[in-house]
Amino acid sequence: MAAPAMIFAVGMIGFPIGYAIWLSLSTVAPGADPVFSGLDNYGRLIHDPEFWNALKLTLALYAMSLSMQLVLGTWLGLLLGRSNAARGLVRTILVSPFMLPPVVVGMMAIVILDPSFGIANWLLAELGLPPGLWLSDPKTVLVTVAALDTWQWTPFVALIVMGGYLSLPSDVFEAVELDGATWWQRFRFVTLPMLAPTLVTAAVLRSVDILRFFDVIYLTTQGGPGNASTTLNILAYRRGFEFFDFGYASAIMVTLSTLVFGSVLVLAKLRRAVSW
Amino acid sequence: MVSRRALRIFDGIQLTAVLAVLAVPIAWTFLLAFKTRTEVAALPPKLFFTPTLENFIELFSRNDFLRYTVNSLIVASGSTLLGLVFGAPAAFAVSWHKLSWPATVTLFARMAPGTLFLLPWLIMFTKMGLVGGHFVLILTHAAITLPVVVWVLLPYLDALPRELVECAQIDGARQDQILRLVVMPVVAPGLVVASILSFVFSWNYFLFALVLSGIRTKTAIVASFNFVGEGVTNWGALMAAAVVIALPPLILTILIQKRLVGGLAAGAVKG
Repeated sequence: MAAPAMIFAVGMIGFPIGYAIWLSLSTVAPGADPVFSGLDNYGRLIHDPEFWNALKLTLALYAMSLSMQLVLGTWLGLLLGRSNAARGLVRTILVSPFMLPPVVVGMMAIVILDPSFGIANWLLAELGLPPGLWLSDPKTVLVTVAALDTWQWTPFVALIVMGGYLSLPSDVFEAVELDGATWWQRFRFVTLPMLAPTLVTAAVLRSVDILRFFDVIYLTTQGGPGNASTTLNILAYRRGFEFFDFGYASAIMVTLSTLVFGSVLVLAKLRRAVSW
Repeated sequence: MVSRRALRIFDGIQLTAVLAVLAVPIAWTFLLAFKTRTEVAALPPKLFFTPTLENFIELFSRNDFLRYTVNSLIVASGSTLLGLVFGAPAAFAVSWHKLSWPATVTLFARMAPGTLFLLPWLIMFTKMGLVGGHFVLILTHAAITLPVVVWVLLPYLDALPRELVECAQIDGARQDQILRLVVMPVVAPGLVVASILSFVFSWNYFLFALVLSGIRTKTAIVASFNFVGEGVTNWGALMAAAVVIALPPLILTILIQKRLVGGLAAGAVKG
């Protein structure tokens, strides 16, 4: 019964992955067939400052986005769980950001964050604050992109946290409240450990998306200014589809995929360690 | 000790602030779509204005956006259908026979960066002469919808009483009949969630169509990207395009709000 899915999986997923790995071990001259060249492309990778820059940016974006989304998502999720407010219009507003096409989020960012005509800098000026260059400044572009992703996905993390919080046994909370624990003690020693498996699940989902983050960056900056937002996925795309350096691009893609699956495996181990 | 009432008011203030941060940027940019050229750029912004449809008229008359929207509809519907046809029987096999490979393979497909498949696809489909057509987009987007279908349907199928299927087997029903007439009607709510999520994921997806679509088959998402790339200074028209591509996912997901997060997280818990 799974035969059609198997044919599809082999043809559209299995074969292309194998082909990508083969390409990453080959030299591909434009218009010619790939020629096996061992680990040449990976050797190039190690000596390419652009690769190391992209890896650094990918990890920096990952650290910033994931930590902001987990911290804010926990705060918002507990707030929603306590006040039982995530229904009707409130829920609609919460799910809207992450159901928007990422391309639309990028378009919104271009309009709102335009240094001269955007509403963001106008508001800052009204408040007497200095304007920002946001996506146009190499120093701020990565933080801005991380903030955009955080805006879009924090409500998702929050709804997962809320679900985890509401399924916790309530007698534990009543007991520690009677014991006179402070708010911080309750959070640090009861809520957080009990929520840990839920948080790791949210971290798995977000890790996969953040590490391969593409749409918003490619739409707003194409990896620029300079290469200040050229993450691994952007670098792989540009090398593959703008410079047609198929072998080298595949090596970057295989490396990025290894990073993604590695992070998932580490987090899966972590979840086993924190489950109760 | 702070009173409970004060705490509740404080919670309310925080929640209102969050909702404002989430909703205002969307509302603000979408309103631009209904402003005239001069009003769009006005700072301080005009909060009260007479809405106009001229941006939408320009979008659809001068930019052929209707064609791109129809392309998106074709690709999203086609890939959703393909995902269901391949995915629903596979999900049943996973649940019934405790078969694990379809679950693993689809999870792999869901987590891998799209760029990993894209180069081999480009080479394969160029050789087959399929690049630039609708079919190649439907096929590649099915790699997104298939995992969604399998993982969303799994919990529904696992909850299915085994006797139901066994009775049908005793009555001599064929496998495809059991699937079509017995199993699928029972998991219909799951099929609805899987279809809507698949459609939205495919509709929103950018990367595959960016490379594999032709001038006449590009999706509304790719057309909007080109808009930005051409350095369109007419923000009204730009945001009109944003409204057109954002509305289908927003409206569809309102229908399944309560099951949305579970559907999106499907696979992460077992995987």
